[in-house]
Amino acid sequence: MNRNSTLGGLLRRPEAGAFLGLVAVLGFFAIFGGVTFLLPGGMASWMNVAANLGLIAIPVGLLMIAGELDISVGAMVPFGAMTVAVLSGHYGLPIWAGIAVTMTFGVMIGLINGYMVIKSAVPSLIVTLGTLFAVQGVVLGLTVLITKSTSVALTVTGPAKAIFGDFVMGGQVQVMVLWWLAVTAGYILFVHFSRYGNWIFAMGGDKVSARNAGIPTERMTMLLFVLSSTSAAFVGMCQAILYNSAQVAGGQSFIFNAIISVVVGGVLLTGGFGSVVGIFFGTITFAIVTQGIYYTDFDRNWSSLIIGVLLLCAVLMNNTFRKMALASAPKKVAK
Amino acid sequence: MTFARTLKAAALATLMASSAMAADIAVIGGSNDDAFWNIIKKGIDDATPAVVANGGSVNYLRLVNYDNFAPDVVQLIRTAIAQEVDGLVIPNWVPEAEDPAIKEAVAAGIKVILMNAGGAEKAKELGAINYVGSDEYVAGQAGGAYFGKAGQKNVLCVNTLPGAANTEARCKGVIDAITAAGGKGAQLPLPSTSFGDPTAVAEAIKAEMLKDETIDGVITISAGDADSAAIAVAQAGRTISLGTFDMNQAGLDRIKAGTQSFAIDQQPYLQSYLAVSILASAIDFGTDLPTNPVLTGPGIVDASNIDATLAGVAKGAR
Repeated sequence: MNRNSTLGGLLRRPEAGAFLGLVAVLGFFAIFGGVTFLLPGGMASWMNVAANLGLIAIPVGLLMIAGELDISVGAMVPFGAMTVAVLSGHYGLPIWAGIAVTMTFGVMIGLINGYMVIKSAVPSLIVTLGTLFAVQGVVLGLTVLITKSTSVALTVTGPAKAIFGDFVMGGQVQVMVLWWLAVTAGYILFVHFSRYGNWIFAMGGDKVSARNAGIPTERMTMLLFVLSSTSAAFVGMCQAILYNSAQVAGGQSFIFNAIISVVVGGVLLTGGFGSVVGIFFGTITFAIVTQGIYYTDFDRNWSSLIIGVLLLCAVLMNNTFRKMALASAPKKVAK
Repeated sequence: MTFARTLKAAALATLMASSAMAADIAVIGGSNDDAFWNIIKKGIDDATPAVVANGGSVNYLRLVNYDNFAPDVVQLIRTAIAQEVDGLVIPNWVPEAEDPAIKEAVAAGIKVILMNAGGAEKAKELGAINYVGSDEYVAGQAGGAYFGKAGQKNVLCVNTLPGAANTEARCKGVIDAITAAGGKGAQLPLPSTSFGDPTAVAEAIKAEMLKDETIDGVITISAGDADSAAIAVAQAGRTISLGTFDMNQAGLDRIKAGTQSFAIDQQPYLQSYLAVSILASAIDFGTDLPTNPVLTGPGIVDASNIDATLAGVAKGAR
């Protein structure tokens, strides 16, 4: 019998706790936020936020499962936005050229991160902290040098606008949501239905044993860093195309928000445990909590407090639930 | 005769060269990376020829970066004092750190003008002759009044940096002025989780507009936030007037296209141009400007003056 087909089995999956946390905050805001929050316009509001964050949170989560961390994503978002804006806005190059160069740079910085983590044996938090500042500096320095400004305008029309930075389904939902759903499906196949997924979990459990077992840990580490930095550059690029403008600052909030989403989604900070679906639910939970506030009548000055308390509740629920689920193992069937 | 004339000319030249008679002015400003301070530089450059024509000089002392902010600013003030300048133009960014050094400069006989940051009260306290700059609260009032005149009744001031004195003053000015015009206004303080994420900012504004159907005006505290707000406003499904503090190219393009009503500019070009001119004239000719403070903003950029503004941007003065 498939161990997941029973209710008990389903509840023991890593994403079950994250799902319950999601239901809880959804219920909270359905009560305090009223119907607008659940109408298409309201749903689009938190789905859009979740999509932008989710595209970054999943690769960051995979790195965390593998026992690594990438905080340079906070600089890669403005980097992606500024690269495409400077190339296709300031210099007026074709938008596809701007997109291609932006993505190439995203891959390159991921490779640099991965290479340094593998070769230096310095914790990836520190390595990517270095690239975080370095990339921020490059973005600021070059942008001011080239454009004499810290904000660059970009006007995109035609298919590139429709594919990367427009609204679909009645003009409320960002096309980013479709990217997010498609990419999430891709990650689920990659992590949970291919051998590579098990490699990631093994690396997070014990890297040395994983390498001894024949897993190409270095190549996997490189791949994961490339995924995270390219995803962040992609999100920044799409935002520049959508909002017709790029700023050198900003993007920093993605670092914390992505890590929070991943942890709310049930990934252990110590690595080795978690799931893509859990991160998916965690991201939606985070987006609902941050956006839901605006549908309530709470004084806006208390927003941060409410966000903090609700996120803590979601993680606590998730943890308590996971412990309970793991403790109550299914009864052995007598042979 | 010829000899006497030559002697007179030489004496005059000596007098002109001595620092006592001609205005040697130091201006302290922000880093090269900062677009704002490059506009300030344009104002200084344009004011300099008049100072030089009267035998003086202008020296722009810039911070290299903002990593060691307060000590670096104080160091620049001391550099100016050591250079025995006659006049000093200084933004009072960090009063606690700068005030003692500015008082020292005043005690050394240097005429000081506060620029960009400080205010008239502070200038009086420190013994500076004037303040040239903008007042955030007055700028906010100009925005609120603009909405009121255009017929808006319910204005939302989006504050992505709640708690900062200048952004709070901006929103307070907006709300006070729209209230005085018979409408109402509220501040939307966004939590730090949304800072720098345009989607989070846009969706927050959209949510507020969905929740309160009477909101017909939105103003943001920075030009970048206005880019996010523009998307939210476009999707609101009703006519909402958008304004912002500060301006960028995308915002000016929107004003040109008619999708944004206005931008409030503190006009940095005027700050340095006027500060240097007023100071040089005071040193050289003993003039005393009764207008105190000299407010360079709020200047409103809207459809009526967008073309002239864009021409100014192209010349690096806006």
